[in-house]
Amino acid sequence: MLALIGGLLLLPIGQTVYYSFTTWDGITSQWVGPSTYTALLRSPEFVRVLENNAVIVLAIPVAIFLPLGVALLINSHVRGWRVFRSVYFLPTAVSWVVIGFVAVRFFANDGILHDLLAKIGLGSIHPDFLAHERSALLAVIVTFVWSMFGTNLIIFLAGMATIDQEIYDAAKVDGAGPLAVMFQITVPLLKRFIQFTFVITLVTAFTALFSLIFVMTGGGPGFGTTTLEFFIYQNGFSQGYFGLGATAGVVLFVAVFAISMVQLRLLRSDD
Amino acid sequence: MSSVPVARGHTARLWRRRLTRSLVYFALLVMTVVMLYPFWYMADNAFRSLQQYQLQSGFSLASWRELFNTLPVGHQLVNSTILTVGSIALILVASTTAGYALGVLRYRFSSLVFLLVISSMMVPMQSIIIPEYVNLARLGFINHYYGAILVYAALGAPFSTFLMTAYFRRLPEDVIEAALMDGLGYGRIFLQIMLPLAVPAIVTIVVLQFIQIWDDLLVGLLFLQTPELRPITVGLATIPSQHLLNVPVLMAGSLISAAPAIAVFLVFQRYLIAGLTTGVGK
Repeated sequence: MLALIGGLLLLPIGQTVYYSFTTWDGITSQWVGPSTYTALLRSPEFVRVLENNAVIVLAIPVAIFLPLGVALLINSHVRGWRVFRSVYFLPTAVSWVVIGFVAVRFFANDGILHDLLAKIGLGSIHPDFLAHERSALLAVIVTFVWSMFGTNLIIFLAGMATIDQEIYDAAKVDGAGPLAVMFQITVPLLKRFIQFTFVITLVTAFTALFSLIFVMTGGGPGFGTTTLEFFIYQNGFSQGYFGLGATAGVVLFVAVFAISMVQLRLLRSDD
Repeated sequence: MSSVPVARGHTARLWRRRLTRSLVYFALLVMTVVMLYPFWYMADNAFRSLQQYQLQSGFSLASWRELFNTLPVGHQLVNSTILTVGSIALILVASTTAGYALGVLRYRFSSLVFLLVISSMMVPMQSIIIPEYVNLARLGFINHYYGAILVYAALGAPFSTFLMTAYFRRLPEDVIEAALMDGLGYGRIFLQIMLPLAVPAIVTIVVLQFIQIWDDLLVGLLFLQTPELRPITVGLATIPSQHLLNVPVLMAGSLISAAPAIAVFLVFQRYLIAGLTTGVGK
C-alpha cells in the first residue's frame, strides 16, 4: 500500500519539483534554477493558459447554482423525483471522450445547435463555435457544466436529506411560504454542501478536462482552449520539453493543493 | 377585497398551486431533454450508414461494420476489462488491508500514514505524469498491462483507503472485542468478520473505480501505445483521423464504449451516490 502510493505518487511529485528547475528531455537534464519559473510566467502562451483556467473558474458558479436550483425543485417532492434524479445523474457514468464527441457534433458548423436555430428560423446563423478561440473555450465550458450537473445535484439532494423535517414543520406553523423556506432555511443549511461542490467542481475543472479538450479541440484553435493540464501534456509528450512540463506541473500541483487545503479548513471549522 | 367570497379565494389559491406545479414539471422536463438528448443522438445515428446519416432517414448496420474494421473493438473491450478488473483487485487488496490497519488496529504511526494518504489524494495526475512515464519507461513497463494497472491502482488507492478507514472506524468496537474473546487472531477477524461487514463500502469502491478507469483516457494513452493494447475509450479517442468526420461510426464507437459503464451505473447507482457524498457527510 505504502509502496504503491510512495513509489507512484509521492516519488514523482518530488521528481516533478526537482526537474521543474531543469531543462529535461527525459534522458538528460541540466540544472537551470528558479529562472525556469520566471521564463514560464513570462511566456505569452503560458499567460494565455492561466487566463483560460481563470475563465473556466468564472463558470463555476453556474455549475453550482444551476443544479442547486433544480435540486430545490426536485426536493419539493414532485412525483417521479427518483426518475429525474437518475436521468440527471446518468452523464456521470459516461467518459469525457464520448461526451466530447457528441459535444463536437453539437457545436459544429452544421451541428445540432445549427439545426435547432434553423428550426426557429435562424438557419442563416452558423455558430461555428469550435473554430474561434473564445467561443471554443465557451463550448468546452458549457460541456463541462453539463457533465458536472448530475454530480452536484446528487450532492445537494444528499444534503437536503440531512435537514430535519421538524424544521420545515416549524416554519410552516410560523406561516413561512415555500420561497421563504427555500432561501431562509434550505439554502443556509446547505452551506457545507455548497462549499463541497465548489471544491470538487474547481478540482475537476483543473484536473479532469484533459480528455474533453483532447477530443473537442486539441487545445486549439491556437492556445484558445489549452488549460494548465493540457499544456503539461503538450509540452511533455508532443514536444519533449519535459522540464517545462514539470515546471507547469508544479504550478498545477500548488493550485490544487491550495484549493484542497481550503477545503480541509472549511470542513474542520464546521465540526 | 373583503367582498371576495371565501370560496373564490380558495380556488384562486388552488389554481396558483397547480400553475407552480406545472411550471416545476416543465422546468424538470426541459432539463430531462437537455440531459438525455446526447444519448438519443448517439443511439439514433449509430445505426445509420454515412449516407443515411446525411439524409437523416433509413437505418443499417453499415457503420458498425466500418467501426469493427477500423478499430480492434473486441480486443479493446477485453483490454478495458483486464485493466479495470486488475486495477480494482489491486486497489481492493491495498485499501481494505490499509483501512483495517488504520481504522481498527491503529499502529503507532497510523495517524501520520493516514495524513500521507489524505495528502496523496490531492496530487493531480497531470503534475506527476511526466516523471511517472519516464520512471516506468526505464523499468520497461510501457506497453504492458501491469504498467497501466499499477498507475491506475496508485491513483485510486488513496481515496479508497480513506473510504475504507472511515468505514471501519464507524463499526462498533464490541464486535472486535467479542471476536478477540473468542480467541480469533487479528488476521482471521479481518477475513471472517470485517470484510463481510465492509461489503457496502467495497461495492462503492468497485463502482467508483470501474467508472473512473473504464472512462479514462490519459493513462491508457501514454502507457499503452498500440491499438491492440489500448482500452476501448482510448481506442475511440485516437481513432484514425480520416474517420473523425464519419459521425455514425463515431456514435457507434461511443455507444459501445459507454455501454458497460452505463450498465454498471444503472445497477449500482445507490453505491455511487454513497461514495460521492462520503466527503461531506458525517
